[in-house]
Amino acid sequence: MRRAVANGATALFLVSKVIGSETVKPRGGRSLRRLLDRESSLGIILMLPGALLLMVFMAYPFFLGIWLSLTDSVIGTMGDFIGFRNFVDLLGDSIFHQTARNTLIYAMVTVPFKAMLGLGLAMILSNRMPFSNPIRAAVMMPWIVPTALSTLGWFMILDPVFSPISWLLKSLGVIKQNINFLGNPNLAISSVCLVNIWRGVPFFGITILAGLQAVPHELHEAAAIDGANAWHRFLHITIPTIRGVVLIAGLLSIIWTFADFQLIYILTKGGPANTTHIFGTYAYQIGLSATDIGQGAAIALYMFPILSVFAVLLLIYLRRD
Amino acid sequence: MKDKKRERKRKVSRREFLKAGVAGLGMAAMGGLTEKAFGAPAKIKGTKLTILQGTYFIAPGQDLYKKQAQEWGEANGVQMSADFLNWPDLQPKIAAAIQGGGVDIVELWPGWNYLYQKNLVDLTDMALEFGKRGGGFEKYVLNSASVKGRYLGIPHGYSNGSMNYRISWLKEAGCPNAEDGNKVDLTWDEYHAIAKKCKAAGHPFGQALGHSTGDPPGFCYPYMWAHGAMELSKDGKSIQFNKPEFVDGMRKFIEAWKDGYDTTGTSWDDSNNNRAFLSEQISCTFNGSSIYFAAKKDKPELAKDIHHMLIPKGPAGRFYWLESRTFAILKNSKNIAGAKEFLKWWFQDKQFGDWWRLQEGYMLQPVVKYYTDPTWFKDPKMSPFREQPKYGLNQGYAGPPNEKAALAWSKYIVIDTFAKAVQSGDAKASIEWGADQLKRIYGV
Repeated sequence: MRRAVANGATALFLVSKVIGSETVKPRGGRSLRRLLDRESSLGIILMLPGALLLMVFMAYPFFLGIWLSLTDSVIGTMGDFIGFRNFVDLLGDSIFHQTARNTLIYAMVTVPFKAMLGLGLAMILSNRMPFSNPIRAAVMMPWIVPTALSTLGWFMILDPVFSPISWLLKSLGVIKQNINFLGNPNLAISSVCLVNIWRGVPFFGITILAGLQAVPHELHEAAAIDGANAWHRFLHITIPTIRGVVLIAGLLSIIWTFADFQLIYILTKGGPANTTHIFGTYAYQIGLSATDIGQGAAIALYMFPILSVFAVLLLIYLRRD
Repeated sequence: MKDKKRERKRKVSRREFLKAGVAGLGMAAMGGLTEKAFGAPAKIKGTKLTILQGTYFIAPGQDLYKKQAQEWGEANGVQMSADFLNWPDLQPKIAAAIQGGGVDIVELWPGWNYLYQKNLVDLTDMALEFGKRGGGFEKYVLNSASVKGRYLGIPHGYSNGSMNYRISWLKEAGCPNAEDGNKVDLTWDEYHAIAKKCKAAGHPFGQALGHSTGDPPGFCYPYMWAHGAMELSKDGKSIQFNKPEFVDGMRKFIEAWKDGYDTTGTSWDDSNNNRAFLSEQISCTFNGSSIYFAAKKDKPELAKDIHHMLIPKGPAGRFYWLESRTFAILKNSKNIAGAKEFLKWWFQDKQFGDWWRLQEGYMLQPVVKYYTDPTWFKDPKMSPFREQPKYGLNQGYAGPPNEKAALAWSKYIVIDTFAKAVQSGDAKASIEWGADQLKRIYGV
């Protein structure tokens, strides 16, 4: 075994000598070496496979989506170019208005809750405690488990007939009939927001926890000696240090929540009476169920300018830091 | 001489007879072989066929279909693959198959033959032959299964659906002839009066009004038609949704919803009412006979107390939303010849009849021949479904079940009108909302 390793090392040495040899190496090899030596060109070369994958799986569908939104295509038939008619038509569609409103509520209500609860969770987890690693892993479960699976669990919890919450409250005499979690318009949007928050808190928690680890302990000690209490230390040391992490997590969360689909589709399919439709589910309904793929693409693309703003904000922040 | 001639003639004729006999035996043997190979040409040997269809509530029907496909595949050297998908997943998969290929035969649900008409193989001859052999198609099939006179799939019927009810509870509430669903003949007003009594006794009626493809439209479309409203006029020039009779009917429904139904139904899908009924929380609901079959299997005592009745009638009459499903072949299939051979074989009386009868009336007859089939008389509790095809109307009625009707359907406009009405309590505003949406869709 040892001999084999030694032989391998010798072979590698010889190969490197050969590659490095001016006499054997042709001119093309030299320029390749120079290309690999230069950081800028090496970066591009290393990035190429990833860029290619992005081009095929992200850029192509994206540009195809833009093209479809400008046509009257239906499933199976490429339509004709109709300009912005799909986008204009949607402006007069009251279900689309409701969908846009729902999406804004869904994203803007859930993200602050996720951030606040995530911060609290991170503060708890940052304390020394027994079994801290298994606990941290367990806390991540809602984030790790596939959304479709965990949402099915919530689907049963919020079931109009067999909800264990309704059963418990009925047994305690608090309510007389089942709570219509997914059938009452206000309760339905609240319920889907609740499930989204439940799912998103661990992401914030763990991200902020990583940020908290970066807060120098000496700073806290020095501030404590100077008479700062826990609240002041949190406000003036912890918050400024983790601000960047919270901002990045928040922007990413807004983008993901805007583009959500699975959670709503499993829980309500946009019902009752469209009160929980968001861009993703409405685009699916029109594009695939009604086969109007052109208009479906237009619905999805209405998300684009909003998401772009958040993406640009995110990029600006990352570059500045 | 004459005798010799006669003798020769006889000999010849014997020889001929022998020849004919040998040929006949050969033909018979070939025929046997052909019978065994189900008459398919050799050119399809070594090919593959992929079939997509919705999952069955009656599991033995699905097993039989798989077995039949397998048998035909083995006999013809065709590799068969049959996938059974959850109902809401079927259409997206078909859409993906149309775009990307890989599937040969698909089960189309109502309206999809219009939506995908450019992507389907014309099977008019095969469909007409099946219809003719069965004594003609039922009216609901004629209304829905062809696209401008062309059959782009062969109709195989539709799953049944009507009022499932608890005999004892409806009897207590004063429903006439409750013990025999075949004799129950209610108006919507009478139906709701019974619902109120049942709810007062702790057994509300249940009705799914969520975004789901089976029971919500199965209830809402007939209620709309029974109250004189429809999506489109016959000439296709106006929306006939916002009608005073319908507004009046909707007001009654709102009142009945509060006093007679389980009000969580606004979020129910196609399975919630099954579970609520089987757990004895509701006394009546619109559903297929799957509740009854499930009870027969797992709760025989409960099954004894279940019966079915025809959907109630309104001022404009009695209606069902009923359109045929079809088995169609995608144009981008690489094995159109094989797919045609399989469908031709499967729609023969033996295969189709076995498949249809095994489901004991869960699938409604596509052709009139099965209206008198003994299957319908084996269990009197299934007999009410036999009459269902007589009252069938299509989505988009009084217009055709075309792309626009499918769009209105996919957007759940009619169902959401009902959901909005019971949520807001405002029948007029909800129907006006529905009418506006339909105007946008139909462009009239």
